[in-house]
Amino acid sequence: MRPNKRSLGYHQGNMQRRAFLATLPAISFLTSCSSTSKLRLALNWKPDPQFGGFYGAPYKEHKLDVEILPGGAGTPTVQMIGAGSAEFGIVSADELVVARSRGNDVVALFAVFQDTPQGIMVHEERGLMAIEEVFEEGTVALQKGLPYARLLEKQFKFDQVKIVPSPGGDITAFLNDPLFAQQCFVMSEPLQARHKGAKVTVFPVADTGYNPYTTVLATSGTFLKNNAGVVEQMVAAVREGWRAYLDNPKPTNDKMQALNPSMDAATFAEVAEAQKPFIENEDTQGMGLGSMTRERWQKLIDQLHGLGDIPEAIPPDDCFRKI
Amino acid sequence: MKRILPPLIPMLLAIAISEIAVRQAWIASYLVPTPSAVLMAMIDSRVELWQAFLKTSSGALLGFALSTTLGVAIAVLLSSSRRIQRAFYPYAVFFQTVPIIAIAPLLVIWFGYGMKTVIASAFVVSIFPVIANTLTGILSTDPALRDMFRLYGASKRTTLFKLSLPAALPQILTGLRVASGLAVIGAIVGEFIGGEGLGSVVDVARTQQRVDKVFAAVLLASILGLALFGLINLISNHTLRRWHASEQA
Repeated sequence: MRPNKRSLGYHQGNMQRRAFLATLPAISFLTSCSSTSKLRLALNWKPDPQFGGFYGAPYKEHKLDVEILPGGAGTPTVQMIGAGSAEFGIVSADELVVARSRGNDVVALFAVFQDTPQGIMVHEERGLMAIEEVFEEGTVALQKGLPYARLLEKQFKFDQVKIVPSPGGDITAFLNDPLFAQQCFVMSEPLQARHKGAKVTVFPVADTGYNPYTTVLATSGTFLKNNAGVVEQMVAAVREGWRAYLDNPKPTNDKMQALNPSMDAATFAEVAEAQKPFIENEDTQGMGLGSMTRERWQKLIDQLHGLGDIPEAIPPDDCFRKI
Repeated sequence: MKRILPPLIPMLLAIAISEIAVRQAWIASYLVPTPSAVLMAMIDSRVELWQAFLKTSSGALLGFALSTTLGVAIAVLLSSSRRIQRAFYPYAVFFQTVPIIAIAPLLVIWFGYGMKTVIASAFVVSIFPVIANTLTGILSTDPALRDMFRLYGASKRTTLFKLSLPAALPQILTGLRVASGLAVIGAIVGEFIGGEGLGSVVDVARTQQRVDKVFAAVLLASILGLALFGLINLISNHTLRRWHASEQA
């Protein structure tokens, strides 16, 4: 971490300017090594169960002082990490690959969701059996910039439906229009819609073969290089946090609900339960929570290259670090 | 040249500095694009950007036209009696304080996806300056001239069209200048939620981390705002230069 003005002020009175400047790299190194420096973790949404393990992580036991910065729709966490305005951030794997191909040196450390929880939800009454039928009639709310939206467009064409911007977590338009379909987190919006009395069918995006790691803890290459020990402790704390959250989400849910009262306690519990299969599967049972494989990264890079999202394929090993 | 040069110098300087700063890697190119990258994005995506520009222009212009017509009409109505003014003016102020980004999703529910939402958004954010300025203009009409119209037995209609509105013209035009920029902002916000236009281009480009394209779309939106502002200035110059000090300098 960079030294702040106050920590430098002490030296200024006693040293010649040149001598002082010569010590800057050393001071910078020492402060960056300090395990008590405040670390910022930028989220891309409000406190909710998808961040449970981050809120429940025992940072203090790992001598870390972590400040969690909640985000909102469009919080540019990947740029924040690159710019140094947060040491850690939550990104998705596809976002990270695009960022790296644009020169933003961001590295994945821990992938919470092994399978992407993105999906398309439709009204059950339509009797749709496959995702391609979603694109045969009505309106579909999709964030057009997302790679999977363009992958869907490539596979199914969008000439028979009206594509409109995604309303985020808002399901009002969905509830009002039986022919409205919208992108969703499979354990979030469909639950809300069911609570409001709607019958919902969800088609997971992962079924189309596009399955990036999601809710991925990442840092910058520079921070990783200069603070390998801190990063290691961070990942260990986060892994313990997720283990604890999966075993007993209640204490952390209470903590998060105090920060995000718009979601009720029952929903917190329901979502925490529903997301478990996305977080813990055969892979993680063998390799540990949050682990990632080179093959998965390679496949994603190939898909993004094929879509034209990245001009050239990038090395998969640079995208993530096994810790 | 005397008028063009002063604003041109800071612009060229800013372009040169940002080009050098990014090329020298003082600023990362994924945070701020070089002006040349923005230009390239404009050229590469010219068809998409041009179509988006036309959509945003229509939405902003229609919203602005609606604000102008209704804004002046409401101000005339409010000026007709103190009681009406007291009863309704607070609601006009309410429009000014509406956080458009918060109600934009509701506009989609009310008006559906597409142009109607964009026009409504442009209208909501741009009507207040028209009402407020027109009202101030009408209420500031010279009392001596008002008395003269009364002495000659002029009807209310004649007084409005021959005296109050012409006298309020400088203030009306000031309101329109402010409203023109706001209408463009309102249209873009409407497009974030309602789809299409430059707002949609910005939204998609941002998701794709294409800062060059975001800047290209934002630049076009600014050009639209400037063009509208220029149009109002032209009208102002044409209508006021014979009698109002603001256009005689």
